[in-house]
Amino acid sequence: MRTLRYLGLLLWVAYFAPALYAQKIAVLADHVYTMGSEAQGRPGMVLMSSGKIESVAFGAELQAPVGYQVLRGAYATPGLIDVDTTAGISGAYNIPQDQDQDEATDPNTADVRSLDSFNPNEILLKYVNRYGVTTIQSAPGPRNPIAGRAGIFKTVGPDSAPATADQLAIRSESAMIFNLGDVPKSTYKADHKPPMTRMKTAEIIRHALWEAKAYQEKWEKWKKDGAETSKQPSRDPRLEALLPVVNGALPAIFTVHRADDIVTAIRIGSEFHLKYMLASVTEGYLVREAIRQAGVPCLVGPIMQRPESPETANATYEIAALLQQAGIPIALMTGYEGYVPKNRILLFEAGIAAANGLGLEKALRAVTMDAAQILGIQDRAGSLAAGKDADVALFDGDPFEYTSHVLGVIVSGQVSYLRK
Amino acid sequence: MFELSGILPRLAFPEGRMYWRPIIPIPLAALLSTVLLVILPRTVGQEATTQGMVVVRGAMIYPISGPPIAHGILVVANGKIVAVGEEGKVSMPAGATILDAHGKVLMPGIVDSHSHIGIAPNPLVADSDDDNEMTGPIEPGLRAMDAIDPGDPNIRMATAGGVTTANILPGSGNVMGGQSAYVKLRGKTVEQMVIPGSIGGMKMANGTNPKNYGTRKQAPMTRMEEAALARAIYEKAQQYKEKWDVYNKAVAAGDKTAKAPDRDHDIEPVVEILEGKRIVHNHTHRADDIMTVLRLSDEFHYRVVVHHGSEACQVADELAKRHVPVSYTMVDSPGGKLETINIDIHCPAILEKAGVKVAFNTDDPITPSRLLLRQAALGVRGGMSEEAALKGLTIYPAEMLDLGNRVGTLEIGKDADFIILSGPPFSVYTHVLETWIEGQKVFDRSNPQDLHYSTGGFSVASRYPSLQAGGN
Repeated sequence: MRTLRYLGLLLWVAYFAPALYAQKIAVLADHVYTMGSEAQGRPGMVLMSSGKIESVAFGAELQAPVGYQVLRGAYATPGLIDVDTTAGISGAYNIPQDQDQDEATDPNTADVRSLDSFNPNEILLKYVNRYGVTTIQSAPGPRNPIAGRAGIFKTVGPDSAPATADQLAIRSESAMIFNLGDVPKSTYKADHKPPMTRMKTAEIIRHALWEAKAYQEKWEKWKKDGAETSKQPSRDPRLEALLPVVNGALPAIFTVHRADDIVTAIRIGSEFHLKYMLASVTEGYLVREAIRQAGVPCLVGPIMQRPESPETANATYEIAALLQQAGIPIALMTGYEGYVPKNRILLFEAGIAAANGLGLEKALRAVTMDAAQILGIQDRAGSLAAGKDADVALFDGDPFEYTSHVLGVIVSGQVSYLRK
Repeated sequence: MFELSGILPRLAFPEGRMYWRPIIPIPLAALLSTVLLVILPRTVGQEATTQGMVVVRGAMIYPISGPPIAHGILVVANGKIVAVGEEGKVSMPAGATILDAHGKVLMPGIVDSHSHIGIAPNPLVADSDDDNEMTGPIEPGLRAMDAIDPGDPNIRMATAGGVTTANILPGSGNVMGGQSAYVKLRGKTVEQMVIPGSIGGMKMANGTNPKNYGTRKQAPMTRMEEAALARAIYEKAQQYKEKWDVYNKAVAAGDKTAKAPDRDHDIEPVVEILEGKRIVHNHTHRADDIMTVLRLSDEFHYRVVVHHGSEACQVADELAKRHVPVSYTMVDSPGGKLETINIDIHCPAILEKAGVKVAFNTDDPITPSRLLLRQAALGVRGGMSEEAALKGLTIYPAEMLDLGNRVGTLEIGKDADFIILSGPPFSVYTHVLETWIEGQKVFDRSNPQDLHYSTGGFSVASRYPSLQAGGN
């Protein structure tokens, strides 16, 4: 019995020790990119405790206080934020058992949530963490016109303590995903079910949004008429999920490639006065004036997506720079991949954007501060500043150089990955 | 519907030129052209390259066959390298076109030992996709060259990435998928692309992909059957060869009654494998599948290159002792299918340390030809030496195609295939500025049309005639 109790203690320590250890961490780097308003790239030190950033100091000869685990490197940045990815719900093995990103049984699955598919033990989640990604908006896949709700999660790394999806969630419902273009119209084609055309995809979305408005009016009328239980309208989970979208409380994200699909998204967004953004935006540079006038943020990427399908043939490595230069708020995303590689790596995507017109600092912003602002989580993530979550990535060189290495990653004050 | 793919690339070879008739009297034209040649020196240079000499001076040259040359000179004549060395130590031929490349980097054109450009063209839709003949798992009689579209934009995108030579292979859906083509990325017919004297390789595959037949209740359904099918075709080729050997021997001995065996054109390419003339390019990922490849090549004594080799580092010693090289495909994350779950950027470094020659391939469209340099750079990130990584883009893949005497290094007598880079080969910020094949420039980043094959947007003009890429 006593042996068992010792074993229990041992297991308890093994399980929780990583979480208790290193509550206080000091990161020292030759180039600290806080992404705040101060000068970037200076030598400095970031102190963290209890999951939050305590302070950021600048100077070449700084000493870490006693009691802090010290990590040193050449470049320190905020943990990277992937604003739209299927990591966590679309597994690496790519077998039916680990593919939970597309509920392709009905073109409208507004009621589903990525939270309910999110697997914190998914190896791709740990893999992207090794490349500095600490926060992701995990979103349903590309197949349904109305695909369901995304959530914003912290990532776990190879050295992280186990966690549940609920513990990792910053926001369990962060956006409603809509998909336009070639993919949704081919999803049900074999079954001779709609949508078979872009017209129908748009109609399915508009119809659902009108229904959501009517649903709301019905409930408001019922409340106004005395809210009698016997007369209560029947509940509809899909329309309820769409209510915050038509009310502007939940952002809508339209995944779009072709220029005409981008304009269709803007048409729907303005018709229903949605709070919305565009994702992928492959041909966005061809209609950037329309995007800028609509005031829509763009989740751009993946930058290295294949220009092999007709709707992505005009993909350009310069897309992020072209949109940014047009005055459009941008952040970078990795989206969904159906084959090899199963997941794009945000750090690599940002590197290609940096090398193709965006430059190091703006590319970093697009995966940190600007990403946090677009997602509305800038109070917690996206910059190195006192009071923010202690999410840090540390590199041995320019973060975007092919031959640099990630030395360490810290999520919420815990070391999730250390380069061996 | 998808004519957008064809229009731009084909403009590079305007057919209309054939019908050109002089509208200016010839002597006047001669005078005019002389004036133009004088006032347009850049044009002179480009014209001169067709037959004359080109000198590239000032660049940091990576000859691959020797150490880098800080301020180098490369001299090209008639499509061949005639001199390479340090500035001041190489004589500059008079009358040559001189390209200043100070501050830039020059290296051999990249050799992609595994690509599907032209055969899985852009856009990749069923109508144009010709890389897998999924009607039978053993197809040695198929030739990639019969399906390659020289107008495929992917070919120009590959030159934008510095690729000059490619092994264009059938896909991996079949155990024996057909003959590959060793090509230069230029020309408007496949005949102009195929390297003279080369017969190409043979594509084989094992593991997951050929097992697709199993879903139709056809063979192969298992790895066992994949190996059995491969063994059967080699045994058949052995028998065929023996019959012909007996016949040829009899004829040579003066036997006039000897009867010639029936010709089998499909089996003859397999006989070429057994005779060592044709190299097998074997798609294989898992360590046990790689061992099956080695087992077959041991049994039938043929030369083989392990392609992809996702788990090759687990059997690095087995590869090293047989001198079997690996053409590695680097992808950004593991998985996508079970057999690539252990793919790892550290694998090429482990292979290098074990003494295995590693080339980097694109497997285009799996990874973009425009970023083949990046593949090797990730190899360096994974611990490989820069030297081995550079060889993995040039001489090693050239050797894997039996083209090591022709391309892959900057040495006198070799084809003048070279690329000019804006900076170090393995920096993300480096761009391919120019690509030259046999003394001809095939890609120039400063040309806006070419740039769209490098960064993207090449089909904008054909789909949106009113728009220009980058304009609004």
